[in-house]
Amino acid sequence: MGAYLLQRTLLMVPTFIGITLIGFLIMRLAPGDPAELRAAGGLGAAAGGGISVEKRGSVDEAMAQWRAQYGLDKPLHVQYAVWMKNLLTLSFGESFRDNQSVWGKIAERLPVTVKLNFWSILVVYLVAIPLGIYSATHPNSFADQVTTLTAFVLFAVPLVWAATMAIVFICGGDFYYLFPPGGLESLDFSDNWPIWKKITDHAWHLFLPVVLLSYDGFAGLSRYMRASMLEVLRQDYVQVARAKGLQEKIVIYKHVLRNSLIPQVTILASILPGLIGGSIIIETVFSIPGLGQLGFESVLARDYPTVMALFTVSAVLTLIGILISDILLSVVDPRIVFGRRLQ
Amino acid sequence: MCWRTWRFVLALLLLIGCGDKTEVKLSDAPPAENAPAPGKPVTGDWLVIHSLSDPEQLNPLTSSDASSSEVNQYIFESLLTREPRTLEFKPYIAEARPEISNDKLSYTFKIRRDVRFQDGRPVTGEDVLFSLKVIKCPLVNAPFLRVYFNSVVDAQLLDPYTIRFATKERYFLNESVLGQEIKILPRHYYDPDDLLKNVSVRDLLKDPSQLNENVKKFADNFNKNYNRNPMGSGPYKFHRWKTGQEIELTRDPNYWGKGKPGIDQAYIDRLKFRVVNNMDAALVRLKSGSLDYMEVLQPVQHVRGTNSERFNREFKKYEYYAPTYSYIGWNNNHPIFRDKRVRQAMTYLTDRKQIVKSVLFGLGEVVDSHIYFFRPEYDKTLRSYPFDPQKALALLNEAGWKDTDGDGVLDKVIDGKKVPLRFEIKVNSGNAVRKSVALVLLDELKKHGIAASVRELDWTIFLNDVKNHQFDAVVLGWQMSTTEPDAYQVWHSSQAANKGSNAISYKNSRVDEILELYRREFDAQKRIQMYKEFQEIIHDEQPYTFLYVAKRVSAVHRRFQGVEVFPDGLRPIDWWVPVARQKYVNTVSAQ
Amino acid sequence: MSTNPSSAASFNSAALESSSDAAATTGGLWSDVWRRFKRNPIALAGFCVVFFLALMALFADFIANDKPYYLEYRHKTYFPIFRSYIVGAKLGHWPAELLNVDFKKLEGAKAIFPPIPYRPSNINLLEPLEPPSAKHWFGTDKLGRDIMAGMIHGSRISLSIGFIAVGIAVMIGVILGAIAGYFGSWVDLVISRLFEVMLSIPTFFLLITIAALLPPSIYLTMLIIGATSWVGIGRFTRNEFLRIRNLDYVTSAIALGVSDRKVMFKHILPNALAPVIVSVVLGIAGAILVESALSFLGIGVPAELVTWGSILHEASTTTFAWWLAVFPGFAIFITVLAYYLVGEGLREVLDPRLRGLR
Repeated sequence: MGAYLLQRTLLMVPTFIGITLIGFLIMRLAPGDPAELRAAGGLGAAAGGGISVEKRGSVDEAMAQWRAQYGLDKPLHVQYAVWMKNLLTLSFGESFRDNQSVWGKIAERLPVTVKLNFWSILVVYLVAIPLGIYSATHPNSFADQVTTLTAFVLFAVPLVWAATMAIVFICGGDFYYLFPPGGLESLDFSDNWPIWKKITDHAWHLFLPVVLLSYDGFAGLSRYMRASMLEVLRQDYVQVARAKGLQEKIVIYKHVLRNSLIPQVTILASILPGLIGGSIIIETVFSIPGLGQLGFESVLARDYPTVMALFTVSAVLTLIGILISDILLSVVDPRIVFGRRLQ
Repeated sequence: MCWRTWRFVLALLLLIGCGDKTEVKLSDAPPAENAPAPGKPVTGDWLVIHSLSDPEQLNPLTSSDASSSEVNQYIFESLLTREPRTLEFKPYIAEARPEISNDKLSYTFKIRRDVRFQDGRPVTGEDVLFSLKVIKCPLVNAPFLRVYFNSVVDAQLLDPYTIRFATKERYFLNESVLGQEIKILPRHYYDPDDLLKNVSVRDLLKDPSQLNENVKKFADNFNKNYNRNPMGSGPYKFHRWKTGQEIELTRDPNYWGKGKPGIDQAYIDRLKFRVVNNMDAALVRLKSGSLDYMEVLQPVQHVRGTNSERFNREFKKYEYYAPTYSYIGWNNNHPIFRDKRVRQAMTYLTDRKQIVKSVLFGLGEVVDSHIYFFRPEYDKTLRSYPFDPQKALALLNEAGWKDTDGDGVLDKVIDGKKVPLRFEIKVNSGNAVRKSVALVLLDELKKHGIAASVRELDWTIFLNDVKNHQFDAVVLGWQMSTTEPDAYQVWHSSQAANKGSNAISYKNSRVDEILELYRREFDAQKRIQMYKEFQEIIHDEQPYTFLYVAKRVSAVHRRFQGVEVFPDGLRPIDWWVPVARQKYVNTVSAQ
Repeated sequence: MSTNPSSAASFNSAALESSSDAAATTGGLWSDVWRRFKRNPIALAGFCVVFFLALMALFADFIANDKPYYLEYRHKTYFPIFRSYIVGAKLGHWPAELLNVDFKKLEGAKAIFPPIPYRPSNINLLEPLEPPSAKHWFGTDKLGRDIMAGMIHGSRISLSIGFIAVGIAVMIGVILGAIAGYFGSWVDLVISRLFEVMLSIPTFFLLITIAALLPPSIYLTMLIIGATSWVGIGRFTRNEFLRIRNLDYVTSAIALGVSDRKVMFKHILPNALAPVIVSVVLGIAGAILVESALSFLGIGVPAELVTWGSILHEASTTTFAWWLAVFPGFAIFITVLAYYLVGEGLREVLDPRLRGLR
């Protein structure tokens, strides 16, 4: 087992290098210049009245100074090497926008994104697994067909549409006000509130975002669960169990279920990389200060260190996720030994 | 998650320890209608201000965005300020306006003796000198502010409360630069080890590599460690910052200027800058009581979302002009736009009045000049170009543009080649209004045989192209101030080659002359005359198609008294709430 | 996976006659597929919607246009829509009297207009943000542009982005997967690492980064969506190739000396395509979703272009204009749903394990 772990970890290294290289190249090769952005007053000026006349003047030398300060004038491979070296000492550098430690910014927002995704994964599993089981145990029944169709419909609803409809119709504005249109907590949120009040407030704010993040998971996971259960149900040993006279319920819940749950574990691995990308839209629409929003803003502001850091964090999370799910699979499925399925 | 929990635990401990229980009691404010006359200002209550985005950081010098200056304006003060209504200079930290030497190169300020920083220490000339040193230090991350001080070359303390600045050229705005742009920083706080003690302003003019170790250490420390903890002499102290959510300032009960004439008095106990990135969400929060003040309502919101009876009972809207204007810049070096008749034709083809009515929902005025609409320097006798496609076509024909091949697009022979009247208008992404303007123009041009196209670019790429003159036409805006204008940077021909603000490469020797003389003129009336001529030339040449100055609409909760519109906008510092209508209450405040 | 003896047998004979056209033999499989597909009413419904949308996209100019089909003006007849195609192809020019005119305002003219007499780019500042009415069936946006016209022409953009992006993805994925599955050993190792890299990259984030940093253009959007979504197809192809490569007919073909390229693309590939086809259909739906997300965020779409996502973008900032949110979103939804249903239908038909259950 130890050797397997080591082998897998070593194999991850080239992957990791590949990922960071791609991210780095894209950021550097794209046109646009963070120095110029600072000169023009930041992103606010883009949406606002325009460039400030007063603070212009001959800012070229100022920008050259600034670039030199951040090492942006060195050749590409040197910049990459410097960045990798810093990475290995676990220092992501400082954001161009405010000189704050990048890791600090990420750490500040990580809990928010984690919370959001944790709840949505939980909700997805809690809803999809029972649905899948029901569908598989009553195949082609009316209920099964309805759930299948609903699953499809939900799968097809674009997130941008659902989020926009939510904001337009039920978050205040001209129609109904059922949920807050954004943020994590009410304005007068106080640390002195009783626990139940704090939890209710958070739940009220997170409800829509979590639902929006999870509805397409219902479809995917329940279909997958159904399919894998159906496959297991066809297996010989299930027939044997029935023939032995075991109650159907025991057959299902003791034998079939356990074996069909196994593949669901691997889905978890594919969910982790979505942590940053998937929440971008939700966090932007609902003003939630998480990693997705940070990523989007940093891209627009050409904040190279932050973007690179987010890329890397996401890559690491994914690789860890894949490793964990492989390990779990080996542990849980006796047919798989060290990642290789026994023939 | 651990970090947050620890902070919370720590906060709890502190709360228990110090007995500073700031509990919030939300009392329902009675409706506005039958409120009695306000009476004298009292302290109390909170003001929740809408902020579109989090500031990058709160270091008063190194931050370059509008959000941070919005917060810092309550924390820091300067030698002079402007009287809100007349915009005349008013002494603030200084006892009086500076004494200016006859050669106009020396400015001497006497500093008040009763000014204190928020931690109680007195403000002296040392601090003012220090503040200038920080600005001039090339290693401090404030290159864009520093450029502004290029002509300031020295500062000396004549006595502990008198400072003399030396500039190297005559420029009537130097008083403004020195008086208003130097935010007075407490030396003992921002330079606790007194590293800059033996460094003079002249030393800082040297090449950065020749600066001594102390300066490097200081700059490093200053750039890195003061982003979240500003401290100045102003009436509001920085309290805390929940990243991405809100910044809170509290009123300093021991403010040095309390009760003193001529100094802004503060009444609101807490200023909370609440971040809501989405304008629609912000409006909803305003209506539901989570926000008290939105400085900018979108035109659509003003026209559609804020006119119900309920809204008007709780909020009052204020309309006023902000000193910004939008324009279409024609690349004056482009073969098509070299001819001023073509540029004039473009202006005739832009239905500016209709744009203001439809795209801005009527919230704006057409402008015809670079000067702020409400300044005395603005030439009101200019006759605005109307929307007149016939005249435009006549001008284009005169300039040689005709549709000779029946493909629907005008063309002309330039340098022996037949060139269609085709060009690209660049706009930046992120500004829906300017994009709409470009699209409207496009549509109109197409009807008359001009094949224009619009290209939307990311802000930084866009700026790069503008700077490097890589465009045919751009839609942009300028943000100015309500104080004396100086059009040099934008219109002088020297500012075209050095990638300055003269992006359209405008060149006119008479205009150059006027702009130079103007800077050296200290008599206001003479300056107005000079600029009249300047504007007439520009009006004839139409290097820009000037579009409009937009009106700003703000919404303020009615419980706030003392709300007035000034040339510079609203001044929340003056506002207060009568005790009976205060919404947020601190239980401990004998202050 | 394919345990169907009849197809295996037919391919055996194909391998022996190495010159036979694999496509002709697969004809047998595909008409079988189509027959069984037709029996699934839901999938069939999806297919009809897909077909209808394709038609709408193809004939958008005839459904929504500010020029009439037929015009009688000053005793002459014209066909302006066709004429605009001719002028556009530089094969002709407008007659002087029709140059840059507003066809709706021609005096004394008799004209037959398309059902929606607007182009999505027609700005009308006098009618901004109108709710749905007889004049504008789906309302207008803030510049007075007709939403229905925008949606009809927008379908062109969405569908073409979908097809081309997936086309790119298929090319990359199939080729890489085929090479990995066929050659095995270190080639497979390297390419599998590449798969892993692409899988670990936060794709949406990457897309946003590229789209936001480069000047907006639909071609670029197609390219980058295609270049980031080929991994699924690649993996399926690789697995199929790995499996099929060891089948008898393939090993015999190799033994007979058939070149690698021929074995891969003429013998193995047609059999490996089943999961790929399903991926293609689902991929088109996916690409449409991604494009709408990008234009919703305001990136990747040039300024003049009206796409379903860009209308939604405006909807999110003008919340009282509910028609901006409802219609384009619904269109995306129906399109994506249709493709999913078709894809699912195909999957059920092509996957032999499920054949028995139906």
